[in-house]
This record gives sequence, structure tokens and C-alpha cells, in this order.
Amino acid sequence: MLLVTGRTVRQGVASEIGKTGEEYSKNTAVVFLTRNDMELCSLESGDHVVLKTSFGSVVVRCEEGRWGRDGIAFIPYGPWANLICGSDTQGTGMPDYKGIEVTVERTLESPPTQERIARLLRGVQ
Amino acid sequence: MRVADVPCVFCGGLCDDLVIDVENNVVRKVVHGCALSQGKFLNHEMNASFPAIRKDGELVRVTLDEAIGEAADILRGAQYPLVYGLSNTETGAIRKCVELAEICGATIDSTSSVCHGPTSLAVHSVGSVRASLGEVKNRADFLIFWGCNPAEAHPRHYTRYSVNPEGLFRRERRERFLTVVDIRETPSNARADMSLVVDQGHDFELLSALRASIKGYGISDTAGIRKQDIEMLAQKMKTCRFGVFFWGLGLTMTSGKDKNIEAAASLVRDLNEYTKFVMTPMRGHFNVTGAGAVLLWQAGYPNSVNFSRGYPVYNPGEFSVSDVLARKEPDCALIVASDPISHLPRAAAEHLARIPTIIIDPKITMTSLIAKVQIPSATAGISAEGSAYRMDGVALRLKKLVSCEYPSDAEILQKIIEEVRG
Repeated sequence: MLLVTGRTVRQGVASEIGKTGEEYSKNTAVVFLTRNDMELCSLESGDHVVLKTSFGSVVVRCEEGRWGRDGIAFIPYGPWANLICGSDTQGTGMPDYKGIEVTVERTLESPPTQERIARLLRGVQ
Repeated sequence: MRVADVPCVFCGGLCDDLVIDVENNVVRKVVHGCALSQGKFLNHEMNASFPAIRKDGELVRVTLDEAIGEAADILRGAQYPLVYGLSNTETGAIRKCVELAEICGATIDSTSSVCHGPTSLAVHSVGSVRASLGEVKNRADFLIFWGCNPAEAHPRHYTRYSVNPEGLFRRERRERFLTVVDIRETPSNARADMSLVVDQGHDFELLSALRASIKGYGISDTAGIRKQDIEMLAQKMKTCRFGVFFWGLGLTMTSGKDKNIEAAASLVRDLNEYTKFVMTPMRGHFNVTGAGAVLLWQAGYPNSVNFSRGYPVYNPGEFSVSDVLARKEPDCALIVASDPISHLPRAAAEHLARIPTIIIDPKITMTSLIAKVQIPSATAGISAEGSAYRMDGVALRLKKLVSCEYPSDAEILQKIIEEVRG
């Protein structure tokens, strides 16, 4: 599939309530797929999935999107999406945040918390 | 207390018709605000920051002066500081950021790099025909939104500026033709007269096919769109009285990047052979346009500027935030009114998390979780005055609605400048 990151109203509102809170993780650690793609991957809304790109992997919740397109995995902007985005900008300053090849697979793991992501980035356990 | 004509400080639409009720120094009600606006004003006290310095892995509360002193010490001792953010504060604070970057010989970049940076690159090459949103409201009879989703990112754009407003010469919705082009269906398609779902990463081809069709050349199906739909759209664009091309990160973040915008700007230029056509970028943060404007009139360039030689050098891709951090070049960072840990790719965020990072922000953010020094500030447009630039470049005065125990971003930056200078 192709990964596309972007804005949602809920993610925007949650970021104002608090980026270290549950509302933010609930609305940002989530990937939206179409009903067809959900069925193809044998997934149900609420399942946890691991998203893997050539830059890394991350566990998020999976939801059926009301809008979308088959073959597109949409994830709101945020620290979860960033873990699987590359930093190369091809000399433009802009990394590739849209159109990254990604695999989607069900997992029993839970999405990392904001604290866990911060520790991961800082290189501490 | 009821305050009228308040500019919203969330997105680049900067709607300045909010009516806000304040009781006991807290915002209680926002009239006319969209969901994002309500979220910003009604939660302005939530998750509030406090002055702190990280010691043994934990942020420890200190006095504001101690936090500012620590920040100045870090900047004074740095070989290659990075100053980043700028887009969520008022214009005076951005000016102070540029001053501080020059004093420190820093690289300075705004969130524009990971937003409409490629737009700037394209405008250098092709130029762009612009108009104010007031002109759009009064005159536009053809609107195209390409690679953007205003229903979620700029919720009042359709009703206040573009599709539905009652203008001087376009008084009703049926007098305007709305086209939405994107790689997927979004809520913005719901009210469109024409929707085109283009293949991911093939916007450049579709823009080029439109240019060819407008010039009378034969075309074929392109980027997942049927030939007859492209020809119909080209005809609509050519025959309108006043057309507007709005575009978002669906063009700047996807493959092609600045080349996509060059194609769009060339399309708009071509259309002006036949009619009046303008373009306006859909800017995200409320003063990201101001960040570009201030850097332009202070340094001569809109973003990605390096001062290490004592004069400004501009080179996106070299001095852009993602590039400098991924190459692990800065040895400290000052983040003002932004949350790069939430918005930069992993490799860049990792380096930021491992160097002394100073964050100036009214709220605790993801960047606070990795910061060495945390400095709280008043919120621009809520507890601090100033000005901001709307997405079309129109500057508006921001209002102070409530008081705050902490100084504004500009006042904090001025103190840091004084301490760095010694």
C-alpha cells in the first residue's frame, strides 16, 4: 500500500488539548483504510497493526475511514507517522510524507505512548 | 467580557470575525469559530508549560530567569545552533528569532520547510499570480482545490472566503464552480461540482496535460483521469471570468514537490492568456506566512537561512531543518512555537532529541519530552498581542484576551538576546 500523512480535524483539536495526553494519541496513533482494504487484510476497526516502511516500523490502531481510496493508508500527522518517514528531501528541504510504500499487518502489540517515543528518540530505555 | 472581531490563531485562514467571551481570565465561549478554533481558544490553559531544566533525565522546575539563563549559556557555547519553528507566534517574536540567529551564527528555518517550502522554490523559478482572499470572495467564479482538504485543515475557508460567501460580484453559491483534485476522496469533495481522484504521485502529469489541453494540443487519459474530464476541466478554466488555484501539501509533500508547483504556477500563467486566474497556497499554521515574510525582509530569503559566515546564505536542502538534523550538524537547537518532534521524520527527530534543545512554548508538547530547557510563554493572539499574516499575505493585528503569568515569546527572546550578547 501507499502511506499518506495528513491533517484531520480531530488530530488538530486533540493537539490543542495536549500533545502528551490520551486524546492526542487516540486521534493520531491511528491509520485509516478503506473497507475493501480492511477486508483484504482481514482487519476490523480497533485492531492494532504494524506499519512497516523502509525507514522503520510503528504500531498503531486501525480504523475504517469514511473517506479514502483503495490502496492508500492514511495516517494523521504526528510522532507515530514520523517513525516510518524518511528524512531525505532530494535537495528541496521537504521530506517524503506522502506516497511511501508500506505494509500493514495485524499485531497483538500496542502503539507506543508519547513517553515511549520520546525515550526511543533520546536513545534511552 | 465579550470581545468582538478577534482573529483566530490556529490556521492560515486567520478568520478575524470571532466573538469571544472571557470570564475570570479564562476563555468561556467562542462564537463563529470552527472546531479547530474552539479547540485552540477553549483549551488555551490545558497542558500549560512551566520553566524547567532537564537534570538526570527529568525536567526539574526552576525559575523563569534560571531557564532563560541556561538557554543563553547553551546558545553562547554552541558551534552550530539551529533556530527553528516560528510559525505559531506573532511577527515581532519572529523578528527576534532572526536577530538571535544572526548573533549566534545559526541556521534558521521555519516550519515552512516541511509545509510550503517547495512552493517558495517554484515561485523563484516561475513566479505566481496572486490575489487577496477578499478578491476571491468578491470575484471568483471558478475555484480549484488541489492536494488540500480545507474541510479538515481550514474548515471555514469554503464559507468565509471562497465557495459560499456573498461577494460583491458573486452573490450566490451557484455562481461559482468548485473543483477538487486529490489522490483520495475527502470531506472537501462533498460540495464539489467536479471531483477528480488523481493517481498518487502523478499530479505533475495531470497538470501538464491540463496545460497541453488549454493550449489546444491533443491529450490522452492521464494519471488515472479520463481524457474527456481533463478537457472539460481545461475548458472550464479557460472560460471562467476569475479563477483561483488553491493548493496544499498534496502537491508539496508528494513526489515532484517544487516541480509540481512549477507546473501549477505555469498553468495559472498560461490561463492568464485567456482570462483572469490567480493562485493562493493553503497555509497551515496561523503565522507561517509571517515567518516567511519576516525572514524575507530581514535576511532576504524566506526560509532555510544560515548565518554562520556572518551574512545570510540561503539553500533549501542544505540549511533546511530536516536536512541539517538528519546530517547531525547542529550542536544545539532553539525551538520557538513549534513541535518538531511531532512533525519531523525519525532521523531528524532523533538528533534533536540527543542535543541540548531549548523549547519556548505556552504548552507542554512532544518536544518538551526531549528538551533540555523548557521555557513557558504567553500565547500569541490569546494572552499576547502582536500581528500575523494571513495565507494571502494580508497582515492582521492579534488581540490579547487574557493575562498570563509568563512574558510573550518576543520578550523572552529579547532577554535571551541580551544574555547571549553579555
